[in-house]
Amino acid sequence: MRKILLFCFAAFVLISTQVSGQDLTVTGMVAAEDGSVLPGVSIALKGTSRGTTTNGDGKFTFEAPANGTLVFSFIGFQTQETPIGNRSVVNISLKNDVSQLQEVVVTALGIKRDARALGYSVARVDGSELVRKSEPDPLKSLMGKVAGVDIRSGQGTPGAATKINIRGNTSLFGSNEPLIIVDGIPYNNTQVTTSSQTSGGGAYGNGLSSLDPNDIASMNVLKGAAAAALYGSRASNGAIVITTKSGSSSPGKKGIEVNYSGSFATETIANLPDYQNLYGTGSSFTYANANGSWGAKFGSVDSVAVWPNYLTAFPGSFPKSGNIAYKAVPNNVKDLFRTGQVWDNSVNISGGNDKSSVSATMSFLKHSGYVPNSGFNRGSIGLGGSTKLANGLIMNGNFSYSHTNQSGSVFGENQVDGASSSFARNLFLGRNWDITGLPYEDAKGNPVSTNSAQYDNPLWAWKHNTVNSVNDRVTGNVSMSYEITPWLSSSYRIGVNQYSLFRREVVDLGSRGSGGLGAIKEANYTNKEVESNFLINFNPKPIGKFDLKAFVGHNVNARDYRDQLTTGNQIVAPGIYSLPNTKTQVADRSNYVQKRLWGVFGEISVGYDDIAFLTVTGRNDWSSTLPKANRSYFYPSASLAVNVSRLFNVPEETFYGKLKASVAKVGRDANPYSLQNTYQVNTPFNGQSSASIYPSAANPNLKPEFTTDQEIGAEVWVLKKRVGLDLALYKRISKNQIAPITLPRSTGFDETFENFGVISNKGVEVDLKFIPLQFKDFEWNFHLIYTKNKSIIEELKPGVTLIELAGVLTDIKPVAIYDPDKGITKQPYGALYGTKSARDSEGNLLINPTTGELIPAIEPGVVGNPNPDYKMGFSTGIKYKGISLNALVDYTHGGDMYSVTVTSLLGRGVTRDTEDRETSWVIPGYYGDANTGEPILVDGKKVPNTTAISTNGLYFGQTFAINSETDMQIYDATLWTLREVSLSYDLPKKLLAKTPIGGVNISVSGRNLWYLAPNMPKYTNFNPESASFGSSNISGIELSAAPTTRRFGVNLRVSF
Amino acid sequence: MKKSIIYIVAVLIMATGCTKEFLDINTDPNNPTDIAINQLLPSAERGLTAVLGYTNDARSARGISTVLAVYTHQLSQREDPDQYGATGSEFNINGSWKGMYSPQQAQTSPDYIGCLQNVEILIAKAEASGNLKYAGMGKILKAYAFSMMVDIYGDVPFTEANKFTTEAAIKYPKFDKGDAIYPQLLALLDAGIADINNKTATNSLVPAADDLFYAGNITRWEKAANTIKLKLYNQIRLTKDVSTEVKALLATPAKLIASTADGLMFNYGSSISPDDRNPAYADYPAGQKSNYISPWFYSIMKGYNPSIFTGVADPRIPFYFYKQMTPTGAPQNKTEYRDGGFVSIYFGSVGNNRNASQDATMTLLGVYPAGGKYDDQSGAKVTATSGTGAAPLRLLTYADRLYIEAELINAGLATGSAKTVYTKAVTESIALVDYVSGKAAPTAPKLAGTADATKYITAVTAKFDSVATTKQLEMIMTQKWISSFGFSVDQYTDYRRTGYPVMFDPNDKTMAPGGFVQPPINGDPILPGAQAPVPVQLSRAYPRTLPWPLDELTVNPSAPSQKVPSTFKVFWDKK
Repeated sequence: MRKILLFCFAAFVLISTQVSGQDLTVTGMVAAEDGSVLPGVSIALKGTSRGTTTNGDGKFTFEAPANGTLVFSFIGFQTQETPIGNRSVVNISLKNDVSQLQEVVVTALGIKRDARALGYSVARVDGSELVRKSEPDPLKSLMGKVAGVDIRSGQGTPGAATKINIRGNTSLFGSNEPLIIVDGIPYNNTQVTTSSQTSGGGAYGNGLSSLDPNDIASMNVLKGAAAAALYGSRASNGAIVITTKSGSSSPGKKGIEVNYSGSFATETIANLPDYQNLYGTGSSFTYANANGSWGAKFGSVDSVAVWPNYLTAFPGSFPKSGNIAYKAVPNNVKDLFRTGQVWDNSVNISGGNDKSSVSATMSFLKHSGYVPNSGFNRGSIGLGGSTKLANGLIMNGNFSYSHTNQSGSVFGENQVDGASSSFARNLFLGRNWDITGLPYEDAKGNPVSTNSAQYDNPLWAWKHNTVNSVNDRVTGNVSMSYEITPWLSSSYRIGVNQYSLFRREVVDLGSRGSGGLGAIKEANYTNKEVESNFLINFNPKPIGKFDLKAFVGHNVNARDYRDQLTTGNQIVAPGIYSLPNTKTQVADRSNYVQKRLWGVFGEISVGYDDIAFLTVTGRNDWSSTLPKANRSYFYPSASLAVNVSRLFNVPEETFYGKLKASVAKVGRDANPYSLQNTYQVNTPFNGQSSASIYPSAANPNLKPEFTTDQEIGAEVWVLKKRVGLDLALYKRISKNQIAPITLPRSTGFDETFENFGVISNKGVEVDLKFIPLQFKDFEWNFHLIYTKNKSIIEELKPGVTLIELAGVLTDIKPVAIYDPDKGITKQPYGALYGTKSARDSEGNLLINPTTGELIPAIEPGVVGNPNPDYKMGFSTGIKYKGISLNALVDYTHGGDMYSVTVTSLLGRGVTRDTEDRETSWVIPGYYGDANTGEPILVDGKKVPNTTAISTNGLYFGQTFAINSETDMQIYDATLWTLREVSLSYDLPKKLLAKTPIGGVNISVSGRNLWYLAPNMPKYTNFNPESASFGSSNISGIELSAAPTTRRFGVNLRVSF
Repeated sequence: MKKSIIYIVAVLIMATGCTKEFLDINTDPNNPTDIAINQLLPSAERGLTAVLGYTNDARSARGISTVLAVYTHQLSQREDPDQYGATGSEFNINGSWKGMYSPQQAQTSPDYIGCLQNVEILIAKAEASGNLKYAGMGKILKAYAFSMMVDIYGDVPFTEANKFTTEAAIKYPKFDKGDAIYPQLLALLDAGIADINNKTATNSLVPAADDLFYAGNITRWEKAANTIKLKLYNQIRLTKDVSTEVKALLATPAKLIASTADGLMFNYGSSISPDDRNPAYADYPAGQKSNYISPWFYSIMKGYNPSIFTGVADPRIPFYFYKQMTPTGAPQNKTEYRDGGFVSIYFGSVGNNRNASQDATMTLLGVYPAGGKYDDQSGAKVTATSGTGAAPLRLLTYADRLYIEAELINAGLATGSAKTVYTKAVTESIALVDYVSGKAAPTAPKLAGTADATKYITAVTAKFDSVATTKQLEMIMTQKWISSFGFSVDQYTDYRRTGYPVMFDPNDKTMAPGGFVQPPINGDPILPGAQAPVPVQLSRAYPRTLPWPLDELTVNPSAPSQKVPSTFKVFWDKK
């Protein structure tokens, strides 16, 4: 640290000695039309060779005669001339030049750079692309739009977490989500998981859901490590840099603008299975009060006994005989759900004068899901301002507050003991169950269903078993910048982002869960992050054809969180859901965790004649979570961009080509408190306290982990920007992972943290834009993106062959596996590992001669790869005058999925897949020994299976659905989705000329209108986008999740 | 300009206004890094019992008895253990193994429950601090725990287990042969006995209420250790001559478990939260219940079995089983096996009614095995609070020690009258029922000394008198099996050692002629006459050991390949 202080001090001495005795100067600032400042703008005195450029804050200082004229030119903007006319301050706003090709992009730490100078991939998404699409989740609205970004939705209920991943997985256990920066401050995007999502738990949201998409001015996706390295440890997964409207105000923006946007959408379940309505519950064509619809054919039995739970609860509601008609209830699933709604209103007011500007946003979203009692509300306000003080210091500040409230019910795998999933039976109701036609709770408020012991009536569960999360997020930051000399400026920003969550989970009296006695969990989680960045920018005049830009900086980051969870058991007074209203309370956890980090960093960028640009960065971090000896670590990056058109002197209007290459390394530290073994103090047992060693063995010698990233690519535009291609190839190697090695439990520990393992991610990204037709008022455009990434476990540690990435169920879990002795190499990250059916050496299934069903294999293995082979997004738009029509289709090829919904639909015999059931089946294969899993040989030969089984047995036995080995419960998740269709209309300005209204846009939009998963069992209509684990590292596993949604909406935007 | 420098220096000071301690904040303020041994002992004891009894996820127990009670035909289930189908991925097998060696996080409480690693730390800390009473208890617990593991799996990690945090830092423990482990366990028991009786140790800490087995009673610990030794010698009697050792132990009966209260029993409580109930109570609060009473077990106790205790009804039945239905009640669904109010399903059943829900009418574990409800014949459906769950887990009882003695006499390895000891054992088994119900259901009637009890003891003694030595062994083992209900590891061991009690076999032509088994005639009062015969099947041979848990095999390169359970035997298994 002392070195840096010295360095800074030296710099100041230098500055203060140089900057003295200057003559009259013109100063000013150059901004774009949207108010953002423009660095690197060339300023020339007309008719002379004298000139300068703007600095990183868009400012310039220039000596010029009062009668001179300044010429401002910058790529992507129209060149503008302004007479000085005795002014000492000339602020100017440049107009976009549509004929020009390139733009200014925001890179790490908010530094703006000419896109031509970048040797790595940065994708920009405009705020307007994120709204007007009937999608309240800012991440979901990115789906299919940015190459290299993989976005996966979770549960289909409002506010549920969305998973985002850029260029694959770099960490076995750490977060693989990108760093999210909002207005310069990291934005905690944690999914706070209160109850295990295997055995219960809600459709938890992630932190970003508190950000209002209406307030987003732009999103920049920094994909590779080279782009994000300066953000430090968390940037190995890339970074998403979001600028809000209130956070982007800058001085010089004149006038007042008021924008209103409002939208309304309806939401329904995207699709339901095609149910069979020929057979009711039971087995072997005989009626029984069972779960499976394998019973008697409708019409073959006149009436059946009323379900005992219903009869007991409502004796007067049924015929005296105790019997009711035996008939199909075709809409029994559909009728469980409702039509949800999304209401979204937002007002943005901005304005300013020469010196100051201010922007405020106020929004409110109300989203009710298709599942009764599920909803998500978000209210947010944001205020940002900027002013230039008389002494030249520019001060910026912004503040935002948002409040969200998510409500919903319990999910999970109902077969886990004590669980009470509200989706336990919903999609596979017995075909003769009339859930909505009958009451769902008795006089005491207890749930009633066809079998209350096995599942809670979903209508009751949605009302009584609730998960409510309330988030409050406050962000605030202050920044100052000052131009010391025209070529040297400094800036400082400090901000805080505090997020607090209160969650209450209730399993009500009478539920299947908690023994019917009721339980309440209350979770409090507060995360605070303070970030401070100090930057000194060097922006000297070009020396000949060389142009140099550089900065050095210092970063302090302090994070801490508090995590409390208390369970109250046995609700005393019904209907009151507070901890004191429970008989006993257990403090599950109360943790306070701190983490701190310092970094110093710098960048030097050298351009040669606008042809080649070389940028080198370096950063050194000191982290509190590593042992003192290994606490400091350094990582560099280098990138090169070559402008081919300029190199060969081709006019950029006809051809623009850029080649880019970069290599970067990013380090990452450990989780706090990973260096010391601890004990867990247990709850009292028979009044006796006790403590147990914590089974995760610490390691006092951890070192930082590193990801190395290499990228090459090209950007090409031809035909006056009508065809553009952006191509990137990358290879990332993550080494020395700080990850727990799963230990054999016979060591006495579950895991130990070490530095080991190599993960590679290799991928291709293609972004193709094409405008086939373009006339005066008409344009037809295409945009295609292609993302392919392969995440491979290249190596673990000698002796380590398998690591469990997470525990899900004994039969299925995501793993990292590398076992060259058994020939198991090149396995994907998160490979699904589970039990297998026995096969002979040729891969034929082995059949149990006694049952005609399959035999479990002795050894388990990898049963699926949850990562898609590739993803594509294909969008097209037609614009005619003020009308535009846009559509987006995205496609996911491959990826495997373990689906409880699909196997239950088949195993319960409720869909048309199993309707044709009056035949018997012989599974192709050979007889095997159920003890050994080996073929039975008669005279040395295998015996073909001839044992027939029923259709019921084919899906309910140890065969191909719920009671099968894991390998038979894996499906290919290939998916086509018509993601967005929107039609919008801008009212002609002429119509509005005499009103105070500046512009009106009306649009209608549809979201997720259609999908096709061609490799799923046909009539299940299952959408493999459903997932149970939100934004965690677990993918490809679905445990009775809520299906995806479809929305139709109308949107209005008015500006004044 | 000067002003600007002041600004910049100010922010620089803010940005760097940090001391050397800024980064030194990485000590966990939430959890202790050291703990007293009197906190570790109860933890280790909880860990041991959580993995040996029944499973109840909700109260963080993954017990191997849930599988073995099916394998010893005390329970029937529709889950994996049916037809001996529990594989290396079966969750009780994985869960109980893991919890034995390493603490496992409870599902619904913040607790970590585990035995051997805590025992290892306990012994080391206790020896280092001169608290040898704790050290000795740790050694006895460790020896007992490993004997269980060998009995269940044959070969297990022993010499290299729980050595990760030692100098050797063993990450991949090798599996030791069971016959190499047993002698070390006997030595460990001797060392434990020596430690608890050590007169020179400082013993600044003395176990008391933190000892959940004996509340710090050293005499009883010594009795338990000696009785464990007796049990182990008995178990290996077919592999070598153990007559000297057993005679020496039996010569001082006062040093063995000699009363009901001496038994190695783990007391559970009746608190719902924090939950300290016997995990076997799980089916009472559960909506969906999975533990059916095996009709085989039930029919032997009823005296229905044509080859053992025929016609002798066991007075313990209302303590053993709780019927949720009256004899003439209406079942929830069609039943597979019904005998008045008793409702269950068969092992190996492929009958139509096997999968029909009977949660509200099936017969459940009663007060003796689970702390459930004493069967007052009311036929009421249970609720979460019908019983207390406060039945102790009986690992090694006075009755067990008497059955062992009877077996040793029967085998000619000990002297005395087998009949006398057998009668004493059955009498003690009945007293034990009273002991348990006294804790779990104080209002339940007492059994010992009643006419029914006396009649039963007389009848089974008379049966014993009238048969040959081999059949007598079957009777000893069958009575021991009945008495054990609630803890099934030793019964699994006994069956594999002796072949007794005879277990139900769907492929046996007398038990299930033509693949069908006949439930009691007139067992269903609503539909008098013969109940429909139930088709049963079994495609696997009896598992001589359990498969090793996949969670161990997949991550331990030192582990052997998965075994074929029907042929892989424990070293003492000579059948």
